[in-house]
Amino acid sequence: MRVIQKPGSMWRKAFVSSPETLGNFKSKDAPGYKDMLQCMRCGFCLPTCPTYALTGRERSNPRGRVALARAVAEKKLEFTRGVREEAFFCLDCRACTTACPSGVKAGEIMEVCRSQSHAFYPPGAMGNAFRTFILEKMLVSPERLEKSMIPTRLYQRLGLQWLVRHLGVLKLGPDWMEKAEGMLPPLEKPLRPQLPEMLSARGEKRGRIGFFLGCVMTLIYPHVSRQTVRVLAHQGFDVITPKAAKCCGAPHLSEGDRQTARELALFNLELFLAEDVDAIVTDCAGCGAALKEYEEILEGQADREKLALFRSKVRDVSEFLGEAGLRTEDLREVRKTVTYHEPCHLCHAQGISAQPRELLKAVPGVELREMSEASWCCGSAATWGLKFSEESRQVLDRKLGNVQSTGAEILATANPGCHLQLAWGVNRSGMSQEVLHVMEVLGQAVPD
Amino acid sequence: MAIMRKGLKRNKPPMISKAIIGLLQEKLGARNVLHEKEDLLTLGYDATPGVHHLPQVVVYPKTTEEVISAMEIACREGLPIVPRGSGTGLSGGSVPVRGGMVLGLTRMNRILEIDEENLTATAEAGVITLDLFNAVAARGLFYPPDPGSQKVSTLGGNVAENAGGLRGLKYGVTRDYVMALKGVLPDLSVISTGGKSVKDVAGYGFKDLLVGSEGTLGIVTEITVKLVPPPRDKRTFLAYFDDVRTAGEAVSRIIAAKIIPSTMEIMDRATINCVEDYVKIGLPRQMAALLLIEVDGHPAPVAEEAEGVRTILEQVNAAEIHLARDASQAADLAAARRTALSALARVSPTTLLEDATVPRSRLAETFSEIERLTEKYRLKVGTFGHAGDGNLHPTVLCDERDHDEMARAHAFYNDLYEKVLSWGGTVSGEHGIGLAKKEYLARQIGEGGVRVMKRIKNAFDPEGVLNPGKIFDEGDPETRQHVEEGFRVKP
Ligand SMILES: Cc1cc2nc3c(=O)[nH]c(=O)nc-3n(C[C@H](O)[C@H](O)[C@H](O)COP(=O)(O)OP(=O)(O)OC[C@H]3O[C@@H](n4cnc5c(N)ncnc54)[C@H](O)[C@@H]3O)c2cc1C
Ligand code: SF4
Ligand code: SF4
Repeated sequence: MRVIQKPGSMWRKAFVSSPETLGNFKSKDAPGYKDMLQCMRCGFCLPTCPTYALTGRERSNPRGRVALARAVAEKKLEFTRGVREEAFFCLDCRACTTACPSGVKAGEIMEVCRSQSHAFYPPGAMGNAFRTFILEKMLVSPERLEKSMIPTRLYQRLGLQWLVRHLGVLKLGPDWMEKAEGMLPPLEKPLRPQLPEMLSARGEKRGRIGFFLGCVMTLIYPHVSRQTVRVLAHQGFDVITPKAAKCCGAPHLSEGDRQTARELALFNLELFLAEDVDAIVTDCAGCGAALKEYEEILEGQADREKLALFRSKVRDVSEFLGEAGLRTEDLREVRKTVTYHEPCHLCHAQGISAQPRELLKAVPGVELREMSEASWCCGSAATWGLKFSEESRQVLDRKLGNVQSTGAEILATANPGCHLQLAWGVNRSGMSQEVLHVMEVLGQAVPD
Repeated sequence: MAIMRKGLKRNKPPMISKAIIGLLQEKLGARNVLHEKEDLLTLGYDATPGVHHLPQVVVYPKTTEEVISAMEIACREGLPIVPRGSGTGLSGGSVPVRGGMVLGLTRMNRILEIDEENLTATAEAGVITLDLFNAVAARGLFYPPDPGSQKVSTLGGNVAENAGGLRGLKYGVTRDYVMALKGVLPDLSVISTGGKSVKDVAGYGFKDLLVGSEGTLGIVTEITVKLVPPPRDKRTFLAYFDDVRTAGEAVSRIIAAKIIPSTMEIMDRATINCVEDYVKIGLPRQMAALLLIEVDGHPAPVAEEAEGVRTILEQVNAAEIHLARDASQAADLAAARRTALSALARVSPTTLLEDATVPRSRLAETFSEIERLTEKYRLKVGTFGHAGDGNLHPTVLCDERDHDEMARAHAFYNDLYEKVLSWGGTVSGEHGIGLAKKEYLARQIGEGGVRVMKRIKNAFDPEGVLNPGKIFDEGDPETRQHVEEGFRVKP
């Protein structure tokens, strides 16, 4: 084959580096070059990407984002502010992963780019301090949040800042706090201190599970996880909720702090493996997705067998009940029409789509009405809902339109981020739907 | 050519001035003019491996008038103009090899009219193929051309490449549905050719010249297509084979039996495995090949043809024959087939795909030849394609960083084309010449043929502003597909 020399070509300098080159990435936690080469640029992911639907810009879609990362690796581009923006603008909804026949994970590549971004653009001193406070102090130990003598309203703020995570790194619009507060449900006391270390199975016992209670769940949705635990016990499982559990690490991963994420992961891994449980179950799709990634983020840092064992036990609650089979004999009737919004972190990140629907349909009296585009992101996606308000609202409006056309009374979902966003949207648009976690719907059917 | 000089400085594309950007922004709106490096980097590729060049500016007009404004500025500044749809092309057609202005059509995406009396639909060039299909289906009508990329590709891109699809065998390709085109020529005149009348012989067939012209003759802005009533009934078969050649034989025999299925798609073992890795619907990993066959039409003939197909499949000793349970299973199978190319890309960093097309009676021989060459050149090859059209996509799964392997891949295609052409086949069934096939065009149509084509190009575009570097092999190294040193990092 002819070798074509292109003297003086602007590409030339690219060829000095090695194939597994870091190029213009920093060496710590650089995205894998092979993962980028895997993209054959077919564009199959384009119609699934919400940020592409919003902007129509190639650089804001998975194919473009992978190309940008690749250009950085090939030294055709510095790690520019533009690259950083794309990394953070990506919702991390993983719809592109589901859509990609070649197995490219654009969302994950962007997640790694977010971590690179801190090395290139150190957050300002103030923001940094706050960020450290939230990410390293508060979040590593939700208990600290719960026990501290912070007044209720501040709890909420902290819970939100937990969501916002990233304060000071990106500029938030001046109205973010207002919006944030508008999204909050009425606050109860955090759940963790209230839950017994073990709740015993009701009826014939079917097993023993470890319940992973997520930070946002305990702080903002304690009433949801209370139902989850109740449902699990009613289904015949002893439910252990280790008090010492720490944050799953998802916010740290998402904001690019891989080191803290690893420390948290290691701690939770040991904690749960020490309990003799058949499965590790969570009702937060974001946590579930992160727990399932421990094997990957701890690769080489923890015993391989332990990692595999841990991975084999992690289940989202609907996945777990789907496998175990729902005991429906003494469920009460719930005469409601329900539509289901699929959290990205459940359907795209974990491939769980049918199970929550099956659970809903199994509840006597429930009529499930499918909305169109059920798996289209609601615009919450981690902190995105607070960072890019206008775009986020457009994505949300599309979702609400689809909800409205079903005429359902209940809008069910399975992730706190979606829950917040949807509840806020429904409220703001004066819609009548009650937004509930799938486990809350099930909880209504469980006799006292 | 004088004005082109400015834009043709080979290796250092001229900087585009702030004033020009400002002017474009004024005419098209700021959000429709992109010029940051991050944007340019992501708008200089399509789905063809090994080609990537940066434009200097990218514009997204929303009306034909804005197309003209943008083209006017480009011509004045000596910027080549490269039309772009969704960038799913497989011959490098939308890659700005000489820099210049990429003119994206994706924001001209309105369906303008569905005319149920004349059975036509009119849409802007940036409408996504599947969106048009769905819109007309909602009115009980049918737009058959369905390239594998239908969820992503634009109608303009389909027209420019004369795209085929899974239903090509019975229903034909994009050209067979284009009734009228509106567009802008390089001299900035607006051309409107064809119409809703089913017959039209007024002068030369401009419309047919524009279809398949790969963005080198004019920018298409509006397309009127013919619609047909959807088939009332269909049957979908999935047949497995122990030997690819048998599958090829089955195809030839079905056609020889005067049965024209709407779809006859083939996948070989490598493809089956990659697709199954993605779709997980239980395709048989151990089989040498499978055929997806669909017959459609009125219920009575469909039943009869289905019987005919089954008989032939039995006669050639297909290993297994399955009938799709229902429409949704049939749709899943077609969807699975559409992912073939992207799924093959799982295996290796580079997927070199070809588009060889032979008369259908030669299918079995073509498979033998592909097998022989695969062995001869020690390559990993997955083959799939529109078997019913004799259109195969033997795909070499390789790593462009491995020079020796790339050389063998090249030799593989060289030998294969030799055979294909000697059988009266073509080097491109549907993906176009673009950058990827330039070397082969003259071999197929002869020097005389190339000369006439160039004269046609000159008649439309004497200055050579539109999509330069495509189709014709000028021996210009910049405009070749240069996989081994192209866009990726060398070892
Ligand atoms: C996975 C996959 C499967 C595919 N399957 C098929 C298949 O089954 N059959 C098939 O035929 N092709 C197939 N293709 C190839 C490709 O999708 C088609 O060629 C498609 O028509 C390109 O459309 P596009 O909008 O992406 O155009 P682009 O790739 O953006 O452009 C293609 C060419 O058209 C020109 N162009 C685009 N819009 C205009 C316009 N408005 N006016 C003038 N010129 C224009 C461009 O300059 C370029 O030369 C496949 C591609 C992929 C990645
Ligand atoms: S990420 Fe996957 S689906 Fe998207 S362009 Fe790349 S290969 Fe295709
Ligand atoms: S993760 Fe979501 S937002 Fe990010 S590139 Fe993929 S589809 Fe787009």
